[in-house]
Amino acid sequence: MKFLSACAYCVGMARSTSQFFDAVLGERAGVKKELANIHDLAWDVVDKALLSLCKLRIAMILGCDEEVESAKQYLNPSKADAITQWSTSNIFTDEEKSCLRFTEEFIIDVSSIPDASATAVREHLDEEGFVTFVNALLVVEQRIRLLLVWSKLVGSTGK
Amino acid sequence: MRTQRVESSSFNALFREALSRWQEQVVQLDLVDPVTTEMVRLRCAEHHDCHT
Repeated sequence: MKFLSACAYCVGMARSTSQFFDAVLGERAGVKKELANIHDLAWDVVDKALLSLCKLRIAMILGCDEEVESAKQYLNPSKADAITQWSTSNIFTDEEKSCLRFTEEFIIDVSSIPDASATAVREHLDEEGFVTFVNALLVVEQRIRLLLVWSKLVGSTGK
Repeated sequence: MRTQRVESSSFNALFREALSRWQEQVVQLDLVDPVTTEMVRLRCAEHHDCHT
């Protein structure tokens, strides 16, 4: 496929999602640089533990095993194990629950997120924090979807 | 239409500018023809309930 510049063998040797993306994007330096940049910034501007929790839920819903494992590395193992029961578990804070609820709705049907879900996140993160969180969520979701699609087209990340 | 949820869409300037640069780079890719690109863009806008 012309768009994808890496062969399955070369991509299969890559060890991380970043390396995989570098191989797939090849000489498209501008896209490659900005894709890496938004990813790095997303993790700088949102609490890493909170974003890791949301990333784990996104990766689970989308069925991306590589990113499930990647997200778990930075999480409290108890929370990672209990994440599918977040709504009834008492080990998650109200802030985490509101962000996980929003994340699930964002992934499953982004145009139908109830106002109550958005309001709950905004109450915890404040207005600017809420907008930042949504944009970081978009970056994380987009990265996982790209990984899934490109992996199907050119081979796995080799993890 | 959604209820307006925030008074301002401003957020971290560095992050906002980086997202803009990323989008600029993406739209400059020319391996997909303009009609298909526009169809995908409109589908994405509808999916995201985006009216801009």
